[in-house]
Amino acid sequence: MFENILFLSSAVLALSGALGVVFTKNLMHACVLLLATLFGVSGLYAVIGADFLAAAQLVIYAGGVIILMLFAVMLTGGAANNENKFGIDKVAAMGSVKTYIYAGLTVLVMSFTILKILANYMKTFEQGELAPFESTVEKIGTLLVTDHVLAFEISSILLLGALVGAAAIARPRRG
Amino acid sequence: MVSLSSYLFISFALFVSGLAVMIARKNIIAILLGIELILNSAALNFAAYTRFVNQNLDGHLMSLFIIVIAAAEAAVGLAIVIRFFQIKETIHIDDATQLQA
Repeated sequence: MFENILFLSSAVLALSGALGVVFTKNLMHACVLLLATLFGVSGLYAVIGADFLAAAQLVIYAGGVIILMLFAVMLTGGAANNENKFGIDKVAAMGSVKTYIYAGLTVLVMSFTILKILANYMKTFEQGELAPFESTVEKIGTLLVTDHVLAFEISSILLLGALVGAAAIARPRRG
Repeated sequence: MVSLSSYLFISFALFVSGLAVMIARKNIIAILLGIELILNSAALNFAAYTRFVNQNLDGHLMSLFIIVIAAAEAAVGLAIVIRFFQIKETIHIDDATQLQA
């Protein structure tokens, strides 16, 4: 009962947030609606017993990525010119009817490909009874330093590179 | 109600909306939002298969690495966006037409 309520509210939050990101005309609103989607996905993780993932999703996405996005929106706001260097009107920054039609066509083709063609090759079988919930933190910690230690170390190097690279790229050039 | 198919449907909807955002928007930050949606749908799929199909925790670790990579990608992508804005005074994707500033 409680699981179903949590699942339904999280699913509604995630899907409505995603729809809002597609259709809103305001970039700031899109960021906040993406935050709603991420909260919903975190609730969905919690429903299937992925407690560590739910917490990581909240901390990294809601606390990190969205804040970064909002800062980028605020830093790059302001002067918008609607003509390109040839003096031709640009497509509106948040999309026009034409780009939405292109997006709809691509979505149709993609849905057909996934649901009709690829789905036939991706059959899987569900397990009959599900294991009871237990904390996954300890097992994830053990797996990270035993089976997946190479990926763990590579991701640490990746994060260091991203940190230094982002600082180096965004820094204004001297002179 | 909490089943593999419902999770796959939610993940599919997130993927499709991310794809639509990436194609319909002409704003670089909005395109990055679409990429975040797509990465989230992939991570959700990994977690759902872990719960309903094989029940070892490798899928959770894959989701975790996806989250890490998404964070790194967002940091570098937004740094590029800010640098682009410093040079061109715009974040319209159609203005990104030359490699040399």
